[in-house]
Amino acid sequence: MEVVSLNQISPDQVIIWSWNFITLNVTILYTWLVMAILVGGSILITRNLSSEMNVSRWQHFLEVVISIIRGEISEMTKKGADHYVPLVGTLFLFICVSNVLVIVPGFVAPTSSMTTTAALATCVFIAVPFYGISRNGVLHYVKEYFQPTFIFFPFHVMGELSRTLALTVRLFGNIMSHEKVIGILLAVTPFLFPVVMQILGLLIGVIQAYIFAILSMVYIASALSAEDEVHAEVKKEGSTA
Amino acid sequence: MHIDWFVFLAQIFNFLLLMYLLKRFLYGRIIKAMDDREAKIARRFEDADALQAKAREEAQLYEQRNQMLNEKKEVMLNEATMAADAKRKELMEKVREEVDTVKTRWQEMLLREQGAFFYDLRQRAAKQLYATARKALSDLADEELEDRIIEEFLRRLQALDAEKSKQIRQAITGGGNRVTVQSAFGISAPRQSQIEEVLKKQITNGFTIRYLHEPDVVSGIELRVNGHKIAWSLNEYLETLVESLTETLQKEAHAA
Repeated sequence: MEVVSLNQISPDQVIIWSWNFITLNVTILYTWLVMAILVGGSILITRNLSSEMNVSRWQHFLEVVISIIRGEISEMTKKGADHYVPLVGTLFLFICVSNVLVIVPGFVAPTSSMTTTAALATCVFIAVPFYGISRNGVLHYVKEYFQPTFIFFPFHVMGELSRTLALTVRLFGNIMSHEKVIGILLAVTPFLFPVVMQILGLLIGVIQAYIFAILSMVYIASALSAEDEVHAEVKKEGSTA
Repeated sequence: MHIDWFVFLAQIFNFLLLMYLLKRFLYGRIIKAMDDREAKIARRFEDADALQAKAREEAQLYEQRNQMLNEKKEVMLNEATMAADAKRKELMEKVREEVDTVKTRWQEMLLREQGAFFYDLRQRAAKQLYATARKALSDLADEELEDRIIEEFLRRLQALDAEKSKQIRQAITGGGNRVTVQSAFGISAPRQSQIEEVLKKQITNGFTIRYLHEPDVVSGIELRVNGHKIAWSLNEYLETLVESLTETLQKEAHAA
């Protein structure tokens, strides 16, 4: 089986098993693989966690990763970073591991499937109002769509949809195009040059994971800060009255 | 671009499942471990701060105690110095007293030795003077020196004033009417009667005379009546000589 060929733009097209509308394709399969690696690794490493000064190398590594994610979130939200770590951290780790595993021959990143990136972007699309409402209530969140006047409501909605689409296409485009470029280069100039491109691809994969996670957090933080501003104005009016 | 909606939903589900699993097995545990460590470190810092504060207090206390000890040491040193000074003064006083005692004893001994020396000198000088005078008198005159001494003694008896005569008379009466005449030489009978006659004439009548030969009465004669004495001897001249000698010797001792 040839996993990716030039006439197959997405791994979704490689179907392993199907029954009625239920299909098991390579995207889902490799998604499960990435999930198994992440969860299995987490369980293995966090099995013997230590809160003392002497800890294992893997624990150190994970602590560094989590600390960086927490730090990035804290810079945007100022407080309650741990609340957003599961979403942003999982986005980063899943995309990053998927992109890095491309170096393994035969592996196709699930993120090179637009279905996957769309699913992830949809999760962010849902998460933004979820966090906004859970923090400040429905009314304040909805009111934000009508600021400064109700005329801006369609633009706000279009903004939400377009940035979700942008998230989807950016990640999909970068990863998919890179894989295709590697495929073409392998056919045209084998040996050294594809290796260099592969290294560049790893860098791009990590950067894309970072961008996706950071943008998601920016969207969430913008919703939160807008709500905070509304709260601040309400409090100010109350105090002057 | 074709999107398989089943796969789309499956991927959303997969992502949510992954999020849940990672939250359970990764974030929660790691964050808890980090928070625990931070809390431990914070606790250690607090403990360290508390220990530091305690150490500072201890150091302050120690400093105070040290200061107190120093002050106490100073006081004790002063007291000890004062006590030592007092003891030194006491010892010096004692030594001075001892030295004074020894000096006094030595001076007394010196005086005794001086006295003994001058006594001996006086004796020897008197004897020599007596011998020389007698020799000189016997060489110069026919009468013996004893006669001249007796004559001088008689002259003194005759020269007694009324008051002195009265005192001697009362003394003779109070002393059982006994008169003792001591002399360094023997007195001849005519001289004895001459003495009795002068006494009867000058003083009183009713008494008995006892003559004693006493070599200690240096070249002289003396009359003793119940504490009163009339005498002539070389002693008075010798005493003058002794005083002069004593004075000369002391001057020489001071000059030395």
